[in-house]
Amino acid sequence: MFGGWWKRLQQRCATCSRVTLGVGVAVVVLLVGAVIAIGGAAGLAWTERLDFCISCHEMRDNPYQEYKGTIHSVNKHGVRVVCADCHVPREVGPLLWAKFNATFELWDHFTGRINTRKKFLAHRAELATQVWTQMLETDSQTCRNCHKVDAFKDESKRAQAAHARMKTEAISCIDCHYAIAHDEPEGPGPQELRVKLGLTKK
Amino acid sequence: MKKTILASTLGLSLVAFAWATSAAAVDETAAIDLAKESKCFKCHSVDKKKEGPSYHSVAEKYKGNAGAEEKLIKHITVPNKVKIDGELQDHQMVKSSDPAAIKNLVDWILSR
Repeated sequence: MFGGWWKRLQQRCATCSRVTLGVGVAVVVLLVGAVIAIGGAAGLAWTERLDFCISCHEMRDNPYQEYKGTIHSVNKHGVRVVCADCHVPREVGPLLWAKFNATFELWDHFTGRINTRKKFLAHRAELATQVWTQMLETDSQTCRNCHKVDAFKDESKRAQAAHARMKTEAISCIDCHYAIAHDEPEGPGPQELRVKLGLTKK
Repeated sequence: MKKTILASTLGLSLVAFAWATSAAAVDETAAIDLAKESKCFKCHSVDKKKEGPSYHSVAEKYKGNAGAEEKLIKHITVPNKVKIDGELQDHQMVKSSDPAAIKNLVDWILSR
């Protein structure tokens, strides 16, 4: 059946116009493009999952263990925030750039840069600084993807006063709420880093 | 005979020293676990700026102060208020009623 169809197609294409050929090629290209786009989107979605992140033992045995039991893991609302929610931007450009950069972590994985608890702890400050720098430079965008300033309700007076500072001072979520999901390293924190990065002006 | 007495005295001294130092040693893991459970790290960092003073600065402040331990134990077990952003707020109480665990936490803070 296929052989007969192909023979008929060959005979037809021997006399078909350029338009027909062009449409045929376009259809094929669209189909291939659709497969790549759908496959790419599915792949990206797969890398956003918690089980993808902790498939590397470095993440499973270290930051994941610290995250378990924190308010982003379990809370009265039953809302769970996973790695990508805080560590991967949602905007398309920054998202793709983050995914591209993350491929270099494969090198770290295979060379065993933080493949033991001891090595992880030795690099903890460096890793935390990278994340805090990114958050400071994006005004804690990943926090603000979920936590909207105009959606706060029934805040304590203390929280109201603290959050009001964001309107007049160069501070964002990470300045105060660091170490909410993972243990803090020794050394400079986000507020000290902000000064070092020169991000002190509103 | 003299050598035996000397050796015994030395041995007993070593045992006493080991006991004394082990009794004073802070269980860091237990202290951090209790601090996490009590949400101390919401406002306090070990050595960085946060809403409350860092534990490093607390340890510095109370260095050499014999009454520091008792004062801090009271601070985290008896309701009291602290000033944050100009407002008087209730200070979080430690989530334990075990005196030994509370003492361990305070000793850990004072050793930062």
